[in-house]
Amino acid sequence: MSTLLNIFGRTPRARRKAFWGLALIAPNTIGLLVFFGIPVLVAFGLSFFEWNGIRAPEFTGLDNFTRIFRDPLFGRALANTLTLALLVVPLNMALALGAAVLLNQRLPLRNLFRTIYFLPVVTSTVAASVVWIWIFQPRLGLIGIVPGLGTLQWLTRPELVLIPIAAVTIWQRVGFDMILFLAGLQNVPRALHEAAVIDGANSRQRFFNITLPMLSPTTFLILTLNFISVFQIFDQVYIMTQRTTPGGVSGSATTLTFLLYQTGFTRSEFGYASAIALALFVIVLSITVIQLRLQRRWVFYESEAG
Amino acid sequence: MRIKSLVLASAFAMALGTVGIAAAQDTPPAITPVACEEPGELTMWVWDENWATIIGEAINEWTTDYCPGATVDLQVQPWANYWELLRTNVAGGDMPDVFNMSQTNVGFYQENEALLDLQPYLDAAGIDTAVWGSGMIDPYRSGEEGDLYALPVNWDTIAVYYNKDLFDAAGLEYPTAEWTWDDFAADAEALTDADAGVYGAAVYSEYQAGWPNWVAATGVEPVIASDHTTCTLTDEGSLEGLNFLKGLLDAGYMPTISDLGGSSADDAFNAWLAGRVAMVAGGSWKLPTALESADFNWEVVQLPRNPETGRSRSIVHSVGYVGAASTDTPDLAANLIIFLGSDAGQRYFAEAGGVAPAAPSQQQTWIDAFGTDEVNIQTFVDALQDSQGVTVFDEVWNIGNTELPVNIFDLGMSVEEATALGCEAVDTAVAGM
Amino acid sequence: MAAQAINAKEQDSAAPFDHISIGIKVVSYAILIVGAFFMILPFLWMASTACKPNAELAVSPIRFFPENPSCLEVAGQLYEQSPNFNRYLLNSFIVTVARTVGQLITCSLAAYGFARYKFPGRSALFAISLGLLIVPFQAILIPEFILIKSLGLRNTFGAIIIPGVFSAFALFLLRQAFMQIPIELEEAAEIDGANPLQILWRITLPLSIPAIAAFAVITIQAAWNDFLFPLVVANTTDTRVVTIGIALLQGQRDTPYNLIMMGSLIATLPMLALFVMLQRYFIEGVAQSGLRR
Repeated sequence: MSTLLNIFGRTPRARRKAFWGLALIAPNTIGLLVFFGIPVLVAFGLSFFEWNGIRAPEFTGLDNFTRIFRDPLFGRALANTLTLALLVVPLNMALALGAAVLLNQRLPLRNLFRTIYFLPVVTSTVAASVVWIWIFQPRLGLIGIVPGLGTLQWLTRPELVLIPIAAVTIWQRVGFDMILFLAGLQNVPRALHEAAVIDGANSRQRFFNITLPMLSPTTFLILTLNFISVFQIFDQVYIMTQRTTPGGVSGSATTLTFLLYQTGFTRSEFGYASAIALALFVIVLSITVIQLRLQRRWVFYESEAG
Repeated sequence: MRIKSLVLASAFAMALGTVGIAAAQDTPPAITPVACEEPGELTMWVWDENWATIIGEAINEWTTDYCPGATVDLQVQPWANYWELLRTNVAGGDMPDVFNMSQTNVGFYQENEALLDLQPYLDAAGIDTAVWGSGMIDPYRSGEEGDLYALPVNWDTIAVYYNKDLFDAAGLEYPTAEWTWDDFAADAEALTDADAGVYGAAVYSEYQAGWPNWVAATGVEPVIASDHTTCTLTDEGSLEGLNFLKGLLDAGYMPTISDLGGSSADDAFNAWLAGRVAMVAGGSWKLPTALESADFNWEVVQLPRNPETGRSRSIVHSVGYVGAASTDTPDLAANLIIFLGSDAGQRYFAEAGGVAPAAPSQQQTWIDAFGTDEVNIQTFVDALQDSQGVTVFDEVWNIGNTELPVNIFDLGMSVEEATALGCEAVDTAVAGM
Repeated sequence: MAAQAINAKEQDSAAPFDHISIGIKVVSYAILIVGAFFMILPFLWMASTACKPNAELAVSPIRFFPENPSCLEVAGQLYEQSPNFNRYLLNSFIVTVARTVGQLITCSLAAYGFARYKFPGRSALFAISLGLLIVPFQAILIPEFILIKSLGLRNTFGAIIIPGVFSAFALFLLRQAFMQIPIELEEAAEIDGANPLQILWRITLPLSIPAIAAFAVITIQAAWNDFLFPLVVANTTDTRVVTIGIALLQGQRDTPYNLIMMGSLIATLPMLALFVMLQRYFIEGVAQSGLRR
């Protein structure tokens, strides 16, 4: 009995803390396991079957997984998704951080600007689609104010279509990340800045030596969430391509999540869709694990440094 | 002698045909509902709130006069998500008893035997399926006997909407139902005014209102044959129709997709409403919008005839009512469907004046419901006579609806290259099924 | 009052860009204004379309402001076509409040547990929770639907609310925030005999107000805008949420953009008001300055 208890800690205090910890996490963890864990297991199981939703599922072993490697559309969707990640994540994080830092100052009209930057989060996607399609419309669109860009067929040329999609993704995302950065900036102790000012540090030095390191837990959170969300890009593709050709001409705008959705809900290949989901999961998980490993090198937790 | 008798026979057949049509116009065939045997509970899905209101009224009559004691839980689902939602519910083992179906989506459910065979019930009620035009119901037939699995709710056909003011300004005579592709091309040229930014025509957008009508006029089933496997895009008729339209585009009489602002038929129609296009191919469903929004004089005319075949052919689509094969009360579900497809059930749609009712006896009511003498709405009913049913389905839908027109009418690809690419995509999609 | 004034002054002097030149300020504003233009454009489009009479909808190229603004007529049309629209708004409100309060409770408890307590399986359980964040929702829609059905929750508010009170995202967000709080404050309270719930309530949560405000904004808008899941599990007149109500305005053949935009505008305004109210908490480090090092 005592050895069993030792799992929870060697001292009574450690054991008490362990029980408290488990009690605290229990409601959310159990809920997540029941309402998301069970469906995930079912979906995992489904990836070994062929099932169209009507007839009985048929066990096909690893067929769905070998099919992934033969499916040219999967390769294209993976390439599109990775391209989007490269286009979106760095630019979006830089813009969100910039907006948060600027709007963390006591600027006149600060509240108005913050509200405006938050607008895309609440604007209807139908409205957004009409406006963004208009912005990128050849000859008539707003993009024409930049010389040379107005005559390009942004939404139908396979080699261009990811750029408008990246633009809409950043547009939708930047206000959201700005909020997280703003919240994070509140955790930068004022005293550190004051001390640095006394030491004669200028604002740029203070930004790079104080603000950025102290903000690193938030930056890590946002980076992780950015990668996860960029791999789940779906709405933007739907918004920007539904009126021309859903998923882009020859699949040029099809992302992994879009492919997964199409495979499942318009083609009723639920087994293969589950296999695609599993592949997507493994890819994002690998990226997240790498990030978790790397965070030890650059993320600074105040309570640990304490 | 033999030749003479053949001529005589065909003249006789033609006379019979004329009589048949005349008779049809005098007294359209009736579709009479029957009382149910045993009331019960049904769930029913529709995808349009306006229809739900209309169907709700029809159901009230059914539960009052034909099936007292029955209840129907009528649920309206958003159109944009209807098909995904249906597939989710089917996979989750929770299919509605009765629901709306489209010709492009019915294949999946038929192949998997998920639909209730309505033929025995129609036979028992003494309803001859010939009352509906073949384009309306053929896609809903299945099995060796060609049993009918859906009753048509409504239909829509395509015609050319034209701006009479622009015809007057160009000094052109208004077109008639006998006009040909050559007349159309000549009119398009005369109506084009590059300085004013006015194009003669925009008629290629999308599947139903667009280029497939022109391919159908050559006698070819557009995109894919009704066997659901053979790609027809590279057939001679397809190339002829598409090259005709591409010629008008290259000559500057038609705008590109980029000029229109999008590849949807609505984009083309809006350009027509804005006076930027003189002639547009539009569906009968556009009548309320045109009546409300056009601030110029306009009229509709049947699509021009192919000079060689002499045929003007419209793509027709008909929404159907179907029952689930898994329903606990098949008799009751079929009874409700037959009522909704009958003259009594269809009257509610006809009087509402939106989409055209499928029951032949109700079409004059539908025309009258618009309350206009300016526009010859009968044009759309006439277009039913030589119409082409929908042969495409979900897996190949985008190929003909958007990809092919974008390649040809926006990206400047040649018809031969674009159709070859299209057939490749069709073959891949068919092989993957 | 005096203390507040001093604090405000303190914050001024502490802002990272307090002594920046006029030039940089001008550039900052220029960037902010260009960005704001793109951010606000679709919203303005939504508002202006919501006030267009039917005849002005089918205009090409697009017209940015209606010639005959008819906001009230369009609103009237909306309620005529969708008489239960207010009911849908109320349903969204019920679902959103329940999910947000529920998530705040379950996820702050769990985040606190993961941030501050050592117990067997901690890393594994946290990794599993995070892993669920990575699962694309589309992949589990059908099993989730079957689960809800077999629990007898189909077509009830519970179908939307109960799975919605558990969140890996909020857990991650709050845990990151809690880990940034100096642990000494909590240890001091523990020595004074406070139990973990009391410490969480009196110290950790008040110190995390900016993160909680961010959590609230994000969770509320996500719950309010949720569409696919409520559509699948609870689309009846009694439980229908407003996003579905808006989607129902679109028919197979016609898209009444003015009604859809009016519906969207009505549904958006509460979210905007909420943001305006909550946003001051993102910068309200003032009250806590005494507790900080």
